[in-house]
Amino acid sequence: MDRALYIAMSGAKQNTLGQTAEANNLANVSTTGFRRDFEQARSMPVFGDYYPTRAYAMEERPASDFNPGPLVETGNDLDLAIDNQGWFAVLDANGNEAYTRRGDFQVDGLGRLVNGQNQQLIGAGGPIVLPPYEKVQIAADGTVSIQGVGEEPAVIAGIEQIKLVNPDLTQMEKGEDGLFRLRDAEPGAIQPADPTVQVASGYVEGSNVSAVHSLTQIMSLHRQYEMQVKMMSTADENAQTTASIMEIQ
Amino acid sequence: MHSALWVSKTGLNAQDHGLTTISNNLANVSTTGFKKDRAVFEDLIYQIQRQPGALSSQDSRLPSGLQLGTGVKVAGTQKIHTTGSLEETSQPLDLAINGRGFFQIALPDGQIAYTRDGTFHMDAEGNIVNSQGYLLEPNITIPDQTNTMTISRDGIVSVTQFGDTTPQEIGQIDVVDFINPTGLQAVGGNLFLETAASGAPEIGVASEDGFGSIEQGFLENSNVKVVEEMVKMITVQRAYEMNSKVVSSADQMLQYLAQNT
Repeated sequence: MDRALYIAMSGAKQNTLGQTAEANNLANVSTTGFRRDFEQARSMPVFGDYYPTRAYAMEERPASDFNPGPLVETGNDLDLAIDNQGWFAVLDANGNEAYTRRGDFQVDGLGRLVNGQNQQLIGAGGPIVLPPYEKVQIAADGTVSIQGVGEEPAVIAGIEQIKLVNPDLTQMEKGEDGLFRLRDAEPGAIQPADPTVQVASGYVEGSNVSAVHSLTQIMSLHRQYEMQVKMMSTADENAQTTASIMEIQ
Repeated sequence: MHSALWVSKTGLNAQDHGLTTISNNLANVSTTGFKKDRAVFEDLIYQIQRQPGALSSQDSRLPSGLQLGTGVKVAGTQKIHTTGSLEETSQPLDLAINGRGFFQIALPDGQIAYTRDGTFHMDAEGNIVNSQGYLLEPNITIPDQTNTMTISRDGIVSVTQFGDTTPQEIGQIDVVDFINPTGLQAVGGNLFLETAASGAPEIGVASEDGFGSIEQGFLENSNVKVVEEMVKMITVQRAYEMNSKVVSSADQMLQYLAQNT
């Protein structure tokens, strides 16, 4: 019997995986700093002892979309958005450096600057900790200046420098925790700060998922899937016809 | 089953929580001293279905893998402690803090709660109490026969009594501040409680050392901006609709499979 049934099945299965990837994009349409994942299928010829006549579909996530998301004004001094290219450096669950575009920062009870996912922001001299302050200002180059409690506005002083990096995007890869790291980087490796990266205070960067695009993609995968199922039933009919010819009258 | 179904379910769930936050903000648009919440979304973990760099044959590698995200969740709500606009009421017991700081309220169980709502009243014994009747901490009792009561910008309460023209100082209203007011726990009734995330309260004198000044005859409005909330509501609704579209698409795919094979 021909393997058309199996090939159609593999196509349908890969379509559901693509559907999951797009559904994840759409679910994160309002997640701060979220980067959309691309989703594509590739034909994989089956090599073996024989001539490779068959090709199976294989779904993959080649990369994430690094286009900037929309900037949303919040008026909150600690909310930061990166203008154009660049990344914030944060500590991941293992205490290593990882990168994110998520800039909805707040001060926790110990004065540490953490983002909405509770990841600690790294500065020029390690994780950033702010003393009690009355007013905080973050400049475009990532300098944090504070007016300490009980101090005159005149003594506002720069105390910290947020580490902003800009590694080669082709080397950046999204990890299981949604943070980005450099492909093939050693654990504990750090990237140098890039002084040209600019931030905007009082803004957060939204998700770069285009709802229209994702929804269209989902519809298209839906139709492809239907075609694969149709192929399966056609293969089934063929098999039945063959069987009926072979039947002894 | 179809994993897109579950992923889009997380999207629906998160948007639903987002809408709850927005509707609570809108419901409290005229609550004195109310601080709005912002729903914080985060993406769930990714599952590696196929490892990038794995061998695809004896001497070739997969150039990219397949890592599927598992959806979104609401990581929490973040209180936005920006100051609301001050509104003049001319009531002597209406107080607002212009700047950082909270009033302290003694709860009936002995705990101290913190509030920005300065709508104070007097009870039958002359104590200054909040709208729920809980005492201001430290307790201030206004004596009988009080003619006028003045609260200075640094919190000193002084009264003049009938037949006496010299004002008498009867107490001091302290303000407290936290290193991270966002970490306070909202318990309703415009009250907040200290948590491990907020840090310990720092008691101080109003209009000194960075604390806000106390303004008598003013109230702080809610910091909810109606237009902003409406726009957020539209965004949430559309995101919800699109996620539900994915649910129905995934459902139809399964249905189609069941009917046509």
